[in-house]
Amino acid sequence: MAFRVSIGQYHPGTSPLHRLDPRTKAAGALVVCVAVFFIGDAAQLALGFAFALAIAALSRVPVGKLLRSIRPLVAVLFVLGIFNLLLVRSGHVLVGLGSLVITTGGVRAAVLYPLRMVVAIVAVAVLLLTATPAQLADAFDAALAPLSRIGLPGHELAMVFSLMLRFVPTIADEASAIVDAQTVRGASLGEGSPVRRLRAVIPVVVALLASSARHADGLARALDARCYEGGSGRRTRWHPLRFAVRDAVAAACVAGFCLGLALLA
Amino acid sequence: MRESPSSAIELEAVTLRYPHGVTALDHVSLSIAAGERVCVLGANGSGKSTLALACCGLLAPDEGSVSLVGHACCVDGQVDLAAYREARRELGLVFQNPDDQIVTTVVAEDVAFGPENLGVAPDEIGRRVERELHRVALQELADADPSRLSGGQKQRVAIAGALAMRPRVLVFDEPGALLDMRGRRSIMAVMGKLAAEGVAVVHVTHFMDEALAADRVVVMDHGRIALMGTPEEVFASVDGLRGLGLERPFAARLSDRLRDRGLDVPWTCDEAELERAVAHAAQPAHGEHTDDARTDGAPASSDVPGKAPTQGASTESVVSVRNVSYAYGTADDGRRGRKALDGVSLEVPAGSTLAIVGQTGSGKSTLLRLVCALEAPDAGEVVVAGVPTARKRDRRRLHGRIGLVMQRPERQLFAQTVREDVSFGPRNLGLPADEVARRCDEALALVGLSGKADASPFELSGGQQRLCAIAGILAMRPRLLVLDEPMAGLDPRGRAELMRILASVREGGATIVQVTHSMDDAARCDRVVVLDRSHVIMAGRPREVFAARHGQELRDVGLGMPRSLEVARSLEGAGVPCLGEPLGIDELADAIARACGKGTA
Repeated sequence: MAFRVSIGQYHPGTSPLHRLDPRTKAAGALVVCVAVFFIGDAAQLALGFAFALAIAALSRVPVGKLLRSIRPLVAVLFVLGIFNLLLVRSGHVLVGLGSLVITTGGVRAAVLYPLRMVVAIVAVAVLLLTATPAQLADAFDAALAPLSRIGLPGHELAMVFSLMLRFVPTIADEASAIVDAQTVRGASLGEGSPVRRLRAVIPVVVALLASSARHADGLARALDARCYEGGSGRRTRWHPLRFAVRDAVAAACVAGFCLGLALLA
Repeated sequence: MRESPSSAIELEAVTLRYPHGVTALDHVSLSIAAGERVCVLGANGSGKSTLALACCGLLAPDEGSVSLVGHACCVDGQVDLAAYREARRELGLVFQNPDDQIVTTVVAEDVAFGPENLGVAPDEIGRRVERELHRVALQELADADPSRLSGGQKQRVAIAGALAMRPRVLVFDEPGALLDMRGRRSIMAVMGKLAAEGVAVVHVTHFMDEALAADRVVVMDHGRIALMGTPEEVFASVDGLRGLGLERPFAARLSDRLRDRGLDVPWTCDEAELERAVAHAAQPAHGEHTDDARTDGAPASSDVPGKAPTQGASTESVVSVRNVSYAYGTADDGRRGRKALDGVSLEVPAGSTLAIVGQTGSGKSTLLRLVCALEAPDAGEVVVAGVPTARKRDRRRLHGRIGLVMQRPERQLFAQTVREDVSFGPRNLGLPADEVARRCDEALALVGLSGKADASPFELSGGQQRLCAIAGILAMRPRLLVLDEPMAGLDPRGRAELMRILASVREGGATIVQVTHSMDDAARCDRVVVLDRSHVIMAGRPREVFAARHGQELRDVGLGMPRSLEVARSLEGAGVPCLGEPLGIDELADAIARACGKGTA
């Protein structure tokens, strides 16, 4: 059993998008994700795709790699599209065979909704491909900074988030090693009735929890040894985040995209 | 205790108890000076890791006084947390598992993490990152993702991260336990440089030969300092060491054996000194020396002449790997098609032992997964116990018949009691309850854990957890036992124990395949396969693989020779006549005795 890890798929590079401040990139991606929900006709969709193509090109990430990273989500969208096709009952009826009814509204939903989501997925994928997990954590930290100001552990949450990104591959490796070991010990994983399956995962899940706890112990020791004391006090940053002109340009581009959508509405 | 302003660490009558009643340190007094290199030895559970944590300010004692880099952190059991916090800024720790010490996803960022926490100015952080990465020879991997590095490289990242904090004391708690020889050597080199620069180095290790580089050796036993002195002084106390679960360094063991054989060499831990003495002793005998050493080497009973590949023809193969290729299809990171194995073939005759050696990334672990029928090869054929593994149904039939001891097998423990955990495998085989119980008892007896059957596996010590996991596999009575670095992280006593267990499994007729990074362990197997970058580059009996003409090639692929062979070559370089190809220390001692005209014992 192979565990595929899709988080942290950073593609090293020096493109304009790579050099953007991670806060700008993350906020931009968020705005695009919201904006695509206002896409309602072909012209807007065309603008959306033009924007998606533009950022994909600017990121200089190989097309194949970009497509691979969005493929699983696009597959989900395709299935959702089919549901829309069969379940939406607005507009004229195009096909009516008993319970199978396809309407113009259904066709519109089946085509439009998934396609506009593709724009959002490309935006997020480009974000993940051009920002290192550490940069993402920095952006997250910045987003949570207001929490710290009112006394909540904003910085610590961001640290937890970045440690999570760091440990995903480690725990995934651990999980596949444990699955291997228990399989060879004759555990029947993924076979039989749901109850049997559930019982069969216990040897894997418990062992994995125990080994995660061991990692947590070690990690806590390492953080102590390296004098990590939370966000308080004297902590500095090697690469303090600074907004540059290109961040303003990027923000303007995203704003322009939103304005374009509004004008086409 | 004396007042010395230069001492970096000052422990005075320190006692430390863990919540569940174990006294980990019992009135320990120790003073370590700046620039001193101290090595801490001791069996598992002797308190050496606790001592390491106390030295780097991560554990405060219950009684006694602790002064670290000039801060009085604890006075007569009164802990001053503020002083500890200040002291920790100048103390560093590197421990066993590199995965747990790396906190970010970029090497350089990780090195910067400590200085960031200390509030160092950004420009200065940049300088330190560059400097320390250079010092551990990782400057080219500054932008790499640590999770893609080898164990040795990760450990060097962790060291660079500690060094970037400019510590005055650096504590290494078994840093090389999970590494290969090359990884360990590079860490030892860094330690030497540090001590020379005035950093106090505390090094906890299970490898006796590493202790020789220290200024002072401290041997822990049951929370107390049992022996302390220069390496020579400590290793000279034979009886003491054995009782403490330790062994002596290679040179010391060799000089013992030579003296037993009547050679006039001094007892020493120093390999160079021993070599000079042997070279000197061999001089007079040179003339009458006969050349037979080259051909017959030693009385190794398994050493039947004949080529290894034909050896398999008479006996049936338990594992046949024929021209196998395998690639991991990790679709989303764009490395599809990178072959982990390429055209690999090997045969493992029934009842034999095979060692697979190779660097990190050579394909060893993949080969084990294929042999365990966890995966089917992309091309070629793997046949285990007569069953081809191409079809999923056949692979499933093999599960339960092959025993797999993965790296750090203690990770597979999950049940509430040791007995339940060990019974898991036999029960999956569908055996009746009484047979399960019988096998469980037998396996626990074999690994020496009979008394712990009702304990929780998570309460056992590290070494016992490993034995418990191995018992869980042996209880299935596999005809084929596959082990991935089974010795990693064990102390000498644990290694000896595991060797005894494997010998007894083998006597029962099982076939054993193991991946190892110890050439000495490999030399003890019937056959050795050397993997490098997805290919088999050598295969054969240890005597063939470790033949002198392969020395350079093995070193080029990041491996080495068994210790005895290396010493033999070096002695020959020093003028001792031909010593043949001794694979073990006794063989080497015999060969030297013969070369010195003392004849075989």
